Amino acid sequence: MGKMIEVPLPDFGDGDAADLEAVVSCWPVTVGTALQTGDDLLEIVTDKASFVVPCPCTGILREQRVFEEDRVRTGDIIAVVEEA
Amino acid sequence: MPAETDMTKNRPTPPKFPPWIRQSWPQSGAVDEVRDLLRELGLNTVCRSAQCPNQGECWSHRTATFMILGEVCSRNCAFCGVGTGTPAAPDEGEPARVAEAIARLGLRHSVITSVTRDDLPDGGAGQFAAVIQAIRGRCPGVTIEVLTPDFGGDADAIRLVTEAKPEVFAHNVETVPRLHRLLRDARASYERSLGVLKTAREALPESCYVKSGLMVGCGEGEDEVWATLEDLHRAGCDAVTIGQYLKPRGGRAEVAAFITPEQFVRYEKKALETGFVFAMAGPFVRSSYHADELLTGTFRRPAAAKT
Repeated sequence: MGKMIEVPLPDFGDGDAADLEAVVSCWPVTVGTALQTGDDLLEIVTDKASFVVPCPCTGILREQRVFEEDRVRTGDIIAVVEEA
Repeated sequence: MPAETDMTKNRPTPPKFPPWIRQSWPQSGAVDEVRDLLRELGLNTVCRSAQCPNQGECWSHRTATFMILGEVCSRNCAFCGVGTGTPAAPDEGEPARVAEAIARLGLRHSVITSVTRDDLPDGGAGQFAAVIQAIRGRCPGVTIEVLTPDFGGDADAIRLVTEAKPEVFAHNVETVPRLHRLLRDARASYERSLGVLKTAREALPESCYVKSGLMVGCGEGEDEVWATLEDLHRAGCDAVTIGQYLKPRGGRAEVAAFITPEQFVRYEKKALETGFVFAMAGPFVRSSYHADELLTGTFRRPAAAKT
């Protein structure tokens, strides 16, 4: 069994993220999906655009920690990936 | 109750975007370095203040657009996400710190903009000139692009900036004339912005570029965009950017339409046919997006053509 990686929403550059909020729009992948580094992991939307959050490592998506319409901020754990 | 409010969660529902208004969220790494450097040096960027959707892409490439003279604007434009109010006094150490950041980021082309400072006698033009001089001293070889406010139309203020000879002098007309009253602060005007560009063109050496930008998707017609391009070209603009208006948090103007990528291609083609030597149009194009390409890319104007 590989190492379980908790994936946080990376910093958009705002640091404390006080002025940037995002809402989960959809999961393009399901639990159990094999992912490569950089693959689309999660789609979120801010005031100005939709964004795709890339997977930071290669492995298998084991857990989704946020769900559609949830509000997310920098640093929130969005997923758990079992590293390959 | 506003129609957009989802009372079950007591927050606004997320905006809906067409498939082409989609970006990559930045990964950790360079973005963190840029953030930490800006924080250490106490500098503002328009990337962050305007909630720019390109921030992740640009910062990942260690590029940022510096916003000088504070982060409080003396004007209140309906399209803008920058905070408005009473700005603080100019920071005398800011020019040196901007130059330091440019040196440490290893930028070859720097873009400097500012909030509007109607409270200052020179509108902040002296600070622009000081920043240009600081960059020249600290970062030889780095090209400089300034994106200025209208300085209240004060020709002396504009010339204070042009005398420092930035490679690119930019001032955004923002939108077509019919929509100015809706989108821009009452102290701004279409004619004044064209005047700023004309004054800059007349004052700058031929080797320097004059650039402007406008937002689309605000309710303008295609014919109005054509006419605006003609006006900008007549005012002496060499370069133009056209991008989708996206409503920031706190912005008052709604998006009227999402312009298709195909329409942006037509806008860019039309701009080049109008006579601009550089035109960039696209959903995520902003004034400073890939700004270095004006000087380093395929759009470089041959010296022989600059007569």
